[in-house]
Amino acid sequence: MKKLIGFGLLLTTLGFSLPADKAQITVPLSFDHYYTLDQVYDALKALNSAFPEFTTLEVAGKSEEGRPLYVMTINNPKTGASLDKPGVYVDGNIHGNELQGGDISLYLLDYLLGNYGKNPEITRLVDRTCFYVVPVVNVDGRYHFFADANTSDSNRGLRIATDDDHDGLVDEDFPDDLDGDGNICLMRVKDPFGRLKTDPEDARLMIPVKPGETGEWTMLGEEGIDNDGDGRLNEDGEGYVDTNRNWGFDWAPPYVQSGSGEYPFSGTGVRGLARWIAAKTNICIGWSFHNMGGMVLRGPSRKGLGEYPQQDIAVYDYLGKQAERIIPGYRYLLSWKDLYTTYGDSVEWLSSSLGVYAYCAEVFQMQTESFRGTAEKPEGGSPAEEGMMAMLSGGITDRERIKFSDNLAQGELYKPWKAFKHPTYGDIEIGGWVKMSSRLSASFMIKDLVHRNAMNVVFSAKHVPEVGLEVTEVKPVGKNLYRVRTRLVNSKAIPTMSYLAQKTSLYPKDMLKVTGTGAKVVAGGLLIDPYRDQVTYKKYRPEVQFLVVPGFGKVEHQFLVEGTGEIMVKYESQHAGKLAKTAVLK
Amino acid sequence: MNPSRFLRWFFCGLLVVALGLPAAAAEWAYDRYHRPAELTSALQEMVRAYPGVVKLHSLAKSSGGRELVFIEIGPEAGKNQKTLPAVFVAADMEGTTPISAEAALYLAKLVLEKADLRADRTWYILPCGNPDAAALFFEKPLRRDPRNATPYNDDMDDQTDEDGVEDLNGDGLITQMRVKDPEGEWMPVPVEPRLMKKADWSKGEKGIYKLYTEGLDNDGDGSYNEDGPGGVDIGVTFPHLFKFFSPETGPWSGREAETFALLKFFDEHREVGLTFVFGETNFCLAPPRGGRKGEADLNQIKIPEQMAGFLNADPNRTYTMAEIMEMVKPLAPPGMEVTESMIASFLGLGAVVNPLEDDLKFYKELSEKFKEFLKAAKLDAKRLDPAPDKDGSFELWSYYHLGLPSFALDFWTLPEVKEEKKDEEITAEKMEKMTNEEFIALGEEKVDAFLKSVGAPDQFKAKQVFELLKGGKMDTKKMAEMLKQMPKPPSEEGTDPKDKALLAWSNKELEGKGFVDWKPFNHPTLGEVEIGGAVPFTDNTPPPRMIGELLKGQVPWVFEVAKKMPRIKIADAKVKMLGAGVYEVKVWVENSGGLPYPTAMGRRNERILPVIITLNGQGFDILEGKTRCLVPSVQAQGTQTATWIVHAERPIRIEIKAETQTAWRDSRTVDLGGAK
Repeated sequence: MKKLIGFGLLLTTLGFSLPADKAQITVPLSFDHYYTLDQVYDALKALNSAFPEFTTLEVAGKSEEGRPLYVMTINNPKTGASLDKPGVYVDGNIHGNELQGGDISLYLLDYLLGNYGKNPEITRLVDRTCFYVVPVVNVDGRYHFFADANTSDSNRGLRIATDDDHDGLVDEDFPDDLDGDGNICLMRVKDPFGRLKTDPEDARLMIPVKPGETGEWTMLGEEGIDNDGDGRLNEDGEGYVDTNRNWGFDWAPPYVQSGSGEYPFSGTGVRGLARWIAAKTNICIGWSFHNMGGMVLRGPSRKGLGEYPQQDIAVYDYLGKQAERIIPGYRYLLSWKDLYTTYGDSVEWLSSSLGVYAYCAEVFQMQTESFRGTAEKPEGGSPAEEGMMAMLSGGITDRERIKFSDNLAQGELYKPWKAFKHPTYGDIEIGGWVKMSSRLSASFMIKDLVHRNAMNVVFSAKHVPEVGLEVTEVKPVGKNLYRVRTRLVNSKAIPTMSYLAQKTSLYPKDMLKVTGTGAKVVAGGLLIDPYRDQVTYKKYRPEVQFLVVPGFGKVEHQFLVEGTGEIMVKYESQHAGKLAKTAVLK
Repeated sequence: MNPSRFLRWFFCGLLVVALGLPAAAAEWAYDRYHRPAELTSALQEMVRAYPGVVKLHSLAKSSGGRELVFIEIGPEAGKNQKTLPAVFVAADMEGTTPISAEAALYLAKLVLEKADLRADRTWYILPCGNPDAAALFFEKPLRRDPRNATPYNDDMDDQTDEDGVEDLNGDGLITQMRVKDPEGEWMPVPVEPRLMKKADWSKGEKGIYKLYTEGLDNDGDGSYNEDGPGGVDIGVTFPHLFKFFSPETGPWSGREAETFALLKFFDEHREVGLTFVFGETNFCLAPPRGGRKGEADLNQIKIPEQMAGFLNADPNRTYTMAEIMEMVKPLAPPGMEVTESMIASFLGLGAVVNPLEDDLKFYKELSEKFKEFLKAAKLDAKRLDPAPDKDGSFELWSYYHLGLPSFALDFWTLPEVKEEKKDEEITAEKMEKMTNEEFIALGEEKVDAFLKSVGAPDQFKAKQVFELLKGGKMDTKKMAEMLKQMPKPPSEEGTDPKDKALLAWSNKELEGKGFVDWKPFNHPTLGEVEIGGAVPFTDNTPPPRMIGELLKGQVPWVFEVAKKMPRIKIADAKVKMLGAGVYEVKVWVENSGGLPYPTAMGRRNERILPVIITLNGQGFDILEGKTRCLVPSVQAQGTQTATWIVHAERPIRIEIKAETQTAWRDSRTVDLGGAK
């Protein structure tokens, strides 16, 4: 009997853990809400089971709290192995609160897979490339962002317990959701000496007092109590180790780069992911999605690293300017110069340590949530943000935003002030912008954002190198001696190896090999000018040539081959696959 | 180094392995060098011999399949949570200094034998940080290479590790090949044709040789030995000033298992308060090198234009850190604390790259004492300078990132060659001013020596010269003129002093076995070459007979430095009754050690926690002061205070605790009311 009860209990527990009321996620995916972490997992599994042949779902690592870091590969095995095709890398949500990257990644996967065989452009793209997509890099962050009370800015980093306030205790003073509404809002207290007063235009907002005026409010900071009794509020919350300052290239310790962690790749998930990415030696282009500001950023991430080679900048410019057209309002910018310096970020790691053309996309612009007729001037009032954030928010005022919330989200983005009895401050009020606002567009706008950003990835993906090989000439030039000329043409914008990678000798260049059972390569080299027969011969091992095929360009070689019969010309590139052609010496 | 001696060690090692005997089962003798596996067995033996005091850790496995092993000695050995501070000693991080591994074992033995040395702290001792490279010393042919066994395509061609060295002449050693070549840049040193130097065209010299390491062009690409086996030099893979895109460092710091394990260990073991590196650098003789460019001057910071706008600052002038803090504070959201490091990071000011002034004080003071210590041990003879610290080294990482007092010891370099004083008594200039009689008065002996030094034929002796002078056929003026026109004696200029020292050492102490004389060899692709040059390790590894004395005289210095570790104590605590159950509690904390708590660098990088002072007990409220009072630093022999005002209804006893992770802890009780 007892056993039976135990069994029954077990069943009940199992029953509870089953998502009875959870909506089933089906393909095609819908984009009218932000996916929770579990929904992201389910969506990936749904895509994987809908397209088993084209997709591989792997776990690249486990987070600090043990959550799997899923990565999905799209490759059509019928057109070749994944490493033999140019690779496209996309990640999102490296900062826990910056959700959109996860949804953009899912949209991209869903779009590519769903349109394969229907849309010829997509079919061709999927057939000749390989996509590596990591929807959520900071899995703990995305989980906690949904599950816990947060501001729109909190829960960015990794769950590596860190003593932010240097008092010997770790993560002991988180913000607290005092009113239990799932948001960390702001606290204010009535104070005639305060620097703020109620905005006469909208009683929910505040504006600064003018000199001589009596004040009304003092801001007390984010919702919370002084958990560790050190006189400071909410100063030692989660982490802080920034998921995007913990990467191995140009890493700097926390006193130089705050949030970098104790050593490079101290994050377990990030480390696992890096190892996984590094094994994908075919990645040509990479996108990392963040919010916010509407920016497409390229490196270098720090001035001291020195500017990228001019030929690389030309590629970045070509794709970056196109991004500005695909996503109106977005600006293509240089990371250290136009935003700020970073050390140890993932995009610089991709470009410098792996030789990828990598961009950081800061999606979502606050201006898209303005409330203004075309002929109307921007409204006055306090800007929504100060300092650096003002640049990112485009100077939109709170008065406009709150009207947007009132009229397009029926008030959901802003919480009106409510009285609360605080254990230390006494009678205060809690209110302000909610978690799912400010950095996250209202849900009805998600689809437009994810579509445009995914199409931007698709444009750049179409420009991974596409190389053709031709034997342009076999000409007898002596007894048993032939002049063989070859031409490699790249019809796309991205070269077969970045110039930065060439400069740092990151990995072997492309190889062109001439072999034949009855043939011996006597001399071989770069054909600089086919009209005037100018060749630079390679002194040793002339049958193997090392080269790079530039974007929208060609490279030609000339070989002097002794012998007869068939020869084989083989081309091998880490980024542009393998090709082979035969020719007959006659 | 004597090759036959190497062979002997090699076979001894083999024998031990073959018999399956733990190498250290017998009394450890410092009369030979020990391979990494033997070092591990020695540590295992220590664990057996001192149960409960020693714990063995295996942190990682190298690419070559070797364990990275170290031991922990002390009262808290084996415990995960430590209350006592620790000293970490890392030896042979580059795997190319066999004596440093012996020194680590020597140190471990001393710590085990003398209980007082380990009574109040933990010792972590890593005898070999780069076992793959260290194993090469015991392999044939002998070659020196700090890289581990991770494959690396050095020449970025279609093969990896395909073109290493070969022992062409079969002497068991990898030396050099010199080949006569019209494009050669090298020439023999005129006074010592066994040594090579780069020809200096400005002195009218012309190169005639090309130099290669001994070996073949296995991959037929025209380069010799450019893609040998390995790998990464663990000794330069730490994150401070890590060199990117260098074939010896790997793609990023911590990519190799050996390095990663140590980075992780130090994160998890914040009790380490002092580090020593045994290798080729010496921070006991001279502080870490300064003068690097690129450091941010915190008194002259420029604010980038786009940020200057927000701060209302002038991008064309410079500000001090304090001024910027004042500008930023009002802009920070409520509750956010503005710190120097936050601003430094936001403005991208970069890392500290030179030792801080305050820290140089203790380095300099200890260096003076170390020199006296060496004098007493009779090990102060002039020797070549220790190697300069390398970017990415453990010792620099320890100081700059961990914020610890970081020391390093090398144990031996070649003795400096004493400059042979030329007989300056007779020169052309002097001779010009002498009379014939004065010259004759110098005597036959001196003049003979002089003649020999200017290269006069053997039969040409002082006697004959004197006769010529006496006979009036010659005079001092004429002789001086002739002397000036004589060809100059062969120049030593351009000779590497290290080469000179090595050759002298080889001749004096190694019966010439430290240098292989150049001998012709018929090379398959280079044709007629000569093989010869310095025997690997001769310049950094003394013969085994010297190990014992060198270690005995130098290793104990570690204890002298360890004694100076900062030690936080409560010097005094006073209670003043203010009335109505209100008291002022004042505590004096002192650092009774000889090193600051923490180093200036540790304060700057905020990695070392402040001294945390707490009042413990029940029945009181703090009216003023923090529940956890943070004292950021206490100078060596310095004192800091902390004050609280508390309220207690009834007389109570409270405990004051002062805690640190790396400088011990202390507590004291005081009575509020009651007895007093």
